[in-house]
Amino acid sequence: MLISVQGLVKRYGELEALRGIDLELEAGGIVGILGPNGAGKTTLVETLEGLRSPTSGRVTVLGRDPASDAPALRERIGVQLQATHLPSDLTTYETLRLFRSFYEAGLQPDEVLSLVDLESKSKARVGTLSGGQKQRLAVGLALVSDPELVLLDEPTTGLDPAARRELHAVVVALRERGRSVLLTTHYIEEAEALCDRVIVMRAGEIVADGSPFELLRRSRGQSTVWIEVAGELDPVPLFQSGAKPEGRQGGHYRFVTSDPAAFVVALGRVLQDQGLELLDLRLKRPTLEDVYLELVGEEPAGDSVAPAGGMS
Amino acid sequence: MRALRGTKQLTLAGLLSTVRSKAALFWTLAFPIFLLVIFAFIFGGGDGDRVSYLLPGLWTITVISASFFGLSMVMVQERENGTFRRYRVTPVSPVAVVASFAIVQLLTLTASLLLQSLVAKLAFGITSQGSVLLVVLMLFLGCLAFVPLGLIVGSVARDMKIAPVLTNLIFFPMMFLSGAAVPFFFLPKAVQAVARLLPATYLVESVQGVMVRGEGLAQLQAPVIVMLVTAAVGLALNGLLFRWESSQSIPRRNIALAVGGILAIYVVAALVAPELRMAIQPK
Repeated sequence: MLISVQGLVKRYGELEALRGIDLELEAGGIVGILGPNGAGKTTLVETLEGLRSPTSGRVTVLGRDPASDAPALRERIGVQLQATHLPSDLTTYETLRLFRSFYEAGLQPDEVLSLVDLESKSKARVGTLSGGQKQRLAVGLALVSDPELVLLDEPTTGLDPAARRELHAVVVALRERGRSVLLTTHYIEEAEALCDRVIVMRAGEIVADGSPFELLRRSRGQSTVWIEVAGELDPVPLFQSGAKPEGRQGGHYRFVTSDPAAFVVALGRVLQDQGLELLDLRLKRPTLEDVYLELVGEEPAGDSVAPAGGMS
Repeated sequence: MRALRGTKQLTLAGLLSTVRSKAALFWTLAFPIFLLVIFAFIFGGGDGDRVSYLLPGLWTITVISASFFGLSMVMVQERENGTFRRYRVTPVSPVAVVASFAIVQLLTLTASLLLQSLVAKLAFGITSQGSVLLVVLMLFLGCLAFVPLGLIVGSVARDMKIAPVLTNLIFFPMMFLSGAAVPFFFLPKAVQAVARLLPATYLVESVQGVMVRGEGLAQLQAPVIVMLVTAAVGLALNGLLFRWESSQSIPRRNIALAVGGILAIYVVAALVAPELRMAIQPK
């Protein structure tokens, strides 16, 4: 067991930042903790890192208690904090060499530079790096000991899309190296693109836990289907699949259904029976964003009309 | 030794940061020369003998200002901005971090003192009545006593708002009461009695003793004891008071021990204090 958390509660005075977290993580893959600001993501991760001590509950990371067994544990985990401040007058290479010296074993600075794609910046002072480069260095520092477990706290927050994608490549490469990654994010598309398992937190509790597809299946949301045919369609037979008509939009008939697979099967039959040609089919499934907003209790932004975007 | 793992690279990083920072270079190299020139011309009239008399005080000011305003402030900054927090999630030990700060401070302080002495020798032709080696030894003891003392402030001060206040509260009495800035014999007897408890007084007394009065080690027992005790207490307190983050509170027991340690320095000073020879106005 990589990480085991039982009944973890953390209080700051009146505020209950974590309200009874239970979590088991096996080694391997990328696990994302998704949630809005203030959900308790950082408190949870920093408890795993031994930076915060639980008010109650049991936590083990790699079989050790992070609060009491910190030095031994820190040899084997790599950490990127939400805010990383480093001496600005050292070069990227010197910074990696410094952090490498804290560990018994690990990678050479040059190996880490290539993992985080900063070879060309090895002689640049940390103070002169761009936001994306700084963040990749921060992730690189988490890798100098070649740890079994890498904990990344909002690695892409504040980065532009290109820099974010570069960082995603670094994280995916870690999975390919057989390392376990636990990261926090409040970007849904990041969780969807990167993570094998997504844990959704809200107000100090875990409200959902599963692969992105499992979370999508759990959605109460309906799919919308638009179809365009040559000729007049009699839609009634389609209703047997559970679809409901939503009128027409331009030349398209619009339906909502909770079972798009059954709808498509029914549609094939209808087209054949009525001798119609299908000109266009568009399907909008609930996105992880819809699921997420259902879970964290916010209304999705009003984009229910346009078939553009979010197609699958 | 596991506790010291990383010390070498931390020290190297500290030295590189110092060499690459204009502000650090100014305080390490330019400021000591500036101080020397001011002292030499305003109080010494550029005269070699008088500069030789002033130099022990000047060296003392250099040692205590570097110890209290140098890396101890960097320590507060690095704790406040989160650099220490990043170190905390690695296996590096507090001992390695504090040791590297102390070593970097000792090395830069040595550079300051060497440069100051070199310019004093070349420009003003300073001379020593006693052994030059003994002067160096006493100065080294002084650095050993004050560098850890300064780093304590680096651990105790919560942030950069409070750090300079604390530092000034310690620095100015030491500078004015120790005989470093104002000749000791000028001070009223009651003030002298208080000043005899301060470790800085013994640095001035010992170095002046060798340089001006040609004293040997036998006459310097009291200063040597006070400075050694200060160094030992300072090192121990750094272990008790170090914290990675300002939000970590220092355990009450350790604060009590720290206060006790500082008081111990005063008690030792009071017990071994001889009649200070610098209290007698030279003819």
